[in-house]
Amino acid sequence: MHEHPDDYIKPELMACCGAREISDGNVVLVGTGFPTMSANIAKHTNAPYATLMQESGVYDARPTRPALSVGDPCLNPGAAMIGGLVDVMAMFLQAGWVDVGFLSGSQVDKFGNINTTVIGDYDNPTSRLPGSGGANPIGSLAKKILIIALHDTRRLAERIDFITTPGYIDGPGAREKAGLPPDTGPEVIITNKAVMRFDSGTKEAYLATYHPDSSVDEIAALTPWDLKVADDVHETEPPRAEELRVIREILDPFGMIKIYEGRGYV
Amino acid sequence: MPMDEAIKQHVNSGDFLFIGGYVCRTPFAAIHEIIRQGKKDLTITRGNASDDFDMMIGAGVVKRFIGTFLSLGLYGLGRCYRRSIEKEIPHKIEIEEYTNLSLPMMLLAGSMGMPFVPVKDMAGSDLLNVKSFMGENKYKMIDSPFDGSPTLLVPALNPDVAIIHVQQADESGNAQIWGIGGDCKVGANAAKKVIVSCERIVSREVIGKDPSRTIVPDFKVAAVVEEPFGAHPGYTPGFYDVDFFFGSQYQQASNTVEGFEEFLNEWVFGLQDRKAYIQHYIERFGYGVFKKLEAGFDYGYPVSYAY
Repeated sequence: MHEHPDDYIKPELMACCGAREISDGNVVLVGTGFPTMSANIAKHTNAPYATLMQESGVYDARPTRPALSVGDPCLNPGAAMIGGLVDVMAMFLQAGWVDVGFLSGSQVDKFGNINTTVIGDYDNPTSRLPGSGGANPIGSLAKKILIIALHDTRRLAERIDFITTPGYIDGPGAREKAGLPPDTGPEVIITNKAVMRFDSGTKEAYLATYHPDSSVDEIAALTPWDLKVADDVHETEPPRAEELRVIREILDPFGMIKIYEGRGYV
Repeated sequence: MPMDEAIKQHVNSGDFLFIGGYVCRTPFAAIHEIIRQGKKDLTITRGNASDDFDMMIGAGVVKRFIGTFLSLGLYGLGRCYRRSIEKEIPHKIEIEEYTNLSLPMMLLAGSMGMPFVPVKDMAGSDLLNVKSFMGENKYKMIDSPFDGSPTLLVPALNPDVAIIHVQQADESGNAQIWGIGGDCKVGANAAKKVIVSCERIVSREVIGKDPSRTIVPDFKVAAVVEEPFGAHPGYTPGFYDVDFFFGSQYQQASNTVEGFEEFLNEWVFGLQDRKAYIQHYIERFGYGVFKKLEAGFDYGYPVSYAY
């Protein structure tokens, strides 16, 4: 049995949920923040032979401080390979070599579609967001997509204003019909309240596990679609002592992960 | 040649510019000079745009943006970019949106003289439902002539001018980089001519010590400008770190139109060139802060090209 200390914060739990989705030997394309943290926890625990790459052109970086962007200078010294966007996004991702892609979204819907483009009308938006960047190709072409999101009725939506990155689009068969590669798509949505997975038949996100201080009822109330609940729904396993040790002693000694609490990940 | 001359001679209002950089090696000295010279109606492009594109948009020099993404990274959404789109301040730019796969591939196609290139992303997304100034030529969906499968084609891009910042170049323009590449190599080679801004000008002999690092050959290069600290507040591997402190200053200033204008007056219009910029930085924040950005030094493993 694993030991589960109870002094963890929610972002640490979310990072651990991400780590547990990564299998040994996986090639993982990461952004900064949760994705990097999760992939590195995995490397130190369940997936020592997983390798990471950043879209900016870096493969298997060995940073000695947490990278604050995918272009961070600390990714350069010690990396196994440095090229550019064409190398990572085309030669590796488009060519089918990336096992896991890790995304976050301003808005996520029940089919795992993600909006990072606009809130409101495209031509006259209420809020102009950054755009796709690498998100669309990662969501289109990585074999398994992990999504990180805040769990409230604004960030999660029945339908989103703009599909920047396709999940299962409008249901079963839609990815294939659109011309996206077979056997790709979102695997999980990890929120500050729950872990949701996708039904193999309907392609809708359902509640798989609820985090320790949450409940099925609370999550249903915070989810703006008719959320199905797994027959074996249960509490999310809290961070293990070993996972917390890796986060606090090796990956993030200055506790930068705490900034996510300020962003609502509580 | 000095930066003001390079921009005067080689960048015209209305031009289509590729501007290299990815936090890494952003040609900020050139960007400030473009703003100082009041160029107008530029079309700008690169994958993953950041504070430099935000500043140009806020300064009103941009008409069109062929982009994938624009944010201030750690500091959140691009304030000037948002004001332009949401409130038409100083005016609304036109955007044609692609991704960090498709846009670099369009530049790659341009660099290789190919008319278009197939890409596997964007399918099933709303990126295919929004078209701006490129109209029907934003993309074409065809049945593959080989197996009949639906295939997305995107057009090649050939900017009028590419502006890149590199670690070193020789006087004729052979330009060398190391570290994160972004779309710098494809963007530079797709352009009709290149302005190379560099940390140091070295001899042709030094270039020849490690020629595999050269990303643009001199025959494509129209101007070489030695501009130490030229990527600040971005970084240049082996020379200086990202200036996170200055990044937050820009974010705070650009929160309001007034703050942004003050920032431009202080850091762009009030200074005649990069030398004055460095001087001002030291006077404003102290030599210690400036010196702290300087990279340590680590000799790479020497490579041998001997035979």
